Amino acid sequence: MNVLREMAYLVVGVPLLIAVVLGLGVRVWGRAAAWIALLGPLLAVAVGASSLEGGASGSVRWLAAGDSVLTLGYHVDGLSAIMLLVVGVVAACVIVFSIGYMHGDRGYVRYFAILSLFTAAMSGLVIAGDLVGLFIGWELVGACSFLLIGFWYEKPAAAEAARKAFMVTRVGDAAMLVGLAVLWRATGTLELSAILGSVGSLAPAVVTTAAVCLLLGAVGKSAQFPLHIWLPDAMEGPTPVSALIHAATMVAAGVFLVARTWPLFEASPEARMVALVLGTITALGAATIALQQTDIKKVLAYSTISQLGFMFAALGVGAWPVAIFHLVTHAAFKALLFLTSGSVIHGSGTQDLREMGGLRSKMPLTAVAWIIGGLALAGIPPLAGFFSKDEVVGSVLAAAPWAGVALLAASLLTGAYVARATRLAFFGPVRGTGEAHESPWTMTVPMAVLAVAAIGLGFAGPSIAAVLGAESEPLSLGLAALAVGLAGAGALGGWLLAAGGGAYENGFPPALTRVWGAARDGYGFDALVNGAIVRPMAALARFTDSVVDRQGIDRVAEGFAGLARGVGEMFARTMTGDGQTYSALLAAGAIILLCITMWLVR
Amino acid sequence: MSVTLLWWALAALTVAGAVAVIATREMMRMLLGLGAFLLGLAGFYAWYGFELLAVAELFVYVGGVLVLFLFAITSMGRDREGRSMERRLDLGALGISAGMGLVLLVALQSTLPAAPTAVGASVEDTAAALLGPLLPYFELAGVVLLVALVAALAIIGREDAR
Amino acid sequence: MTSLALACVLMSVGLYGLLTRRDIIAVLASIEVMLGGAQLLLAAYSASVTLASAAQGVTLIVLATIAAEAAVGLALLVALVHRGRTRTDQIEEVRG
Repeated sequence: MNVLREMAYLVVGVPLLIAVVLGLGVRVWGRAAAWIALLGPLLAVAVGASSLEGGASGSVRWLAAGDSVLTLGYHVDGLSAIMLLVVGVVAACVIVFSIGYMHGDRGYVRYFAILSLFTAAMSGLVIAGDLVGLFIGWELVGACSFLLIGFWYEKPAAAEAARKAFMVTRVGDAAMLVGLAVLWRATGTLELSAILGSVGSLAPAVVTTAAVCLLLGAVGKSAQFPLHIWLPDAMEGPTPVSALIHAATMVAAGVFLVARTWPLFEASPEARMVALVLGTITALGAATIALQQTDIKKVLAYSTISQLGFMFAALGVGAWPVAIFHLVTHAAFKALLFLTSGSVIHGSGTQDLREMGGLRSKMPLTAVAWIIGGLALAGIPPLAGFFSKDEVVGSVLAAAPWAGVALLAASLLTGAYVARATRLAFFGPVRGTGEAHESPWTMTVPMAVLAVAAIGLGFAGPSIAAVLGAESEPLSLGLAALAVGLAGAGALGGWLLAAGGGAYENGFPPALTRVWGAARDGYGFDALVNGAIVRPMAALARFTDSVVDRQGIDRVAEGFAGLARGVGEMFARTMTGDGQTYSALLAAGAIILLCITMWLVR
Repeated sequence: MSVTLLWWALAALTVAGAVAVIATREMMRMLLGLGAFLLGLAGFYAWYGFELLAVAELFVYVGGVLVLFLFAITSMGRDREGRSMERRLDLGALGISAGMGLVLLVALQSTLPAAPTAVGASVEDTAAALLGPLLPYFELAGVVLLVALVAALAIIGREDAR
Repeated sequence: MTSLALACVLMSVGLYGLLTRRDIIAVLASIEVMLGGAQLLLAAYSASVTLASAAQGVTLIVLATIAAEAAVGLALLVALVHRGRTRTDQIEEVRG
């Protein structure tokens, strides 16, 4: 155990090695690839478990320029250990699940290679002892996300979604890099302990700038408004990928980043306010959109965005241990929901809720798992989501009542969309082809594991708080009752909404339908970005290509070539074959040489 | 010896011959001009006192090379005799030739003494020089002549073989 | 000085003929003129740098060499004429 704790860097090294081995032998490894890839997450779980009381650290000098030195190192503390456990458990479940889900896929080995790389990068991110290592991991998980969203790259939609994800998060990453630069300039180092220790001696403007920049990076990675548009499109990737990356781990990295650099945020009320505002808007807005979706994965995608908004709101009021607690429980039940939806997709052959129905009898295990996850998401006791969401809403309500009310509304909507999706998929008449079947054990066992976690993690709240070095607040019964009541009311509403089999034009006044319709398309935000940013950029690129490149630069290059050709032709004309021409040239040359000689010896 | 009327006469003859070579349209006139030129050269050698050289010039050039030209022309066939040759005025060539002449003049003007001295040399002394310090070059000249002979035979011989 | 000028004039004249004339015989004759001018130069001035006898000897050797060249040139002329080519623009082997 101690050995494992000391060599914490193995959580990065081993999966990285596995990724390389699998990647190089894409044609060689067959079904064994999954089991090999399983080693990485299991190692992460082991190291995480052994480091809960405090782990190892170490660093190495990387680049030096004059007096400034960049180090690369790891520093495992309670927060890192918790994250390692989350990443490890979810990744392990996802890998086992993928054995069944990705069975027979042409890119089977490539899939596990990239997953392994992701595990390495995410582990590196959470154990990083300096912002350099964190940023490296940050970028790498973004790259892996790109590779996995666009896993089925022959599909144009998938390739576009991958590009979109990468580019949108890039906006955030650019801001984050600016933040790193600010911190470097101000403190001369990028080591976390050094920076966080010297926060008190920095000018407030510097602290706020750095904090907001880092926050923007988190906003991009965690798909908060206004950088949220990539996550729904990211559902083009395989469902286990959505479970791991876009529900439990990568999107949580944003929350992790803020928690990791908390002293900066503690010293900057402006940054906290930004987080609070963005988080609240996101939480409420995404919940309304989720209610409108017909694709089961998109429901879960918007739900993820919304729940992350909850976490950001908690960060905004200063309750970062609460945010981490919700991150942990959310990882469990959201991953469970995604895997379950994967099972549904695998078993029934469709992603559209309107084509499902009555799956309860065909896929009983899946149905139970889904319902557990759904109850956790909605915040029904005694499941995990109840405890963590309650603490989040409680903290926010106490510090900023307006935000707290918004979050309560979001909770209501959460219950609504969960119930609606549940009824559409599992209950009611069979609307699809009716040929659904239950999934194999490789898929049901991970679901069971996560279901257990979703049930039990709620009671781990105090332990988590202790590991993080914070006190845990007791539950306020009044608030709890209010929250449950709202969730239940929402659920009822959602249940009724699903009565028409997904089409709710019936019984709704037209004005309402228009509003809901706008919600379905994300309130036109995508179109806005497309028109205001994407199209002008594309036009600029086209202009640069046709004018600057083709006519400008190519002309110059061709001009040089033409010049060479012209000079060559000019000289070729001297090769006439006429001896007298040669003699004339000879004589002329001799005259010139004579002149030069005479001039030199004058 | 100072430049006398004789010298100028020789100069006129030589130059007239040279111009005739390059300018005339008829082959026979060109040969006559060449002959005049060579005779003028021989005269110059005599004026300088190089008796051996003058005589050698007469034998070898006037009596040899000129006759060779005549033979070559006559061997070309009947339609070649008296045939008119083109001539043209080429300004580029004119420039180059004039330039060459001028450059040589200017270049050599500084390295060579102002006036030539017609010292003259006796045949015995020349022979002693040729077989003495100049022996290698003398022998080489012999080799060159032999090679030229063989070459000419080879070129012509191949013709006869066809 | 005048002697030098004369030799240079002769060489220029010969060069012009070499570059200009179209008939191969005329070219050969022009070459003779040019080389004759060079011989004259050599003869006139070599006596100022060496013994007069050596001067004459050197000029003699040069004379022999140039005569040899004339002979070979005429042989080539005859060979060309037998192939029907008598003008310089009919020689194409060195075109490139």
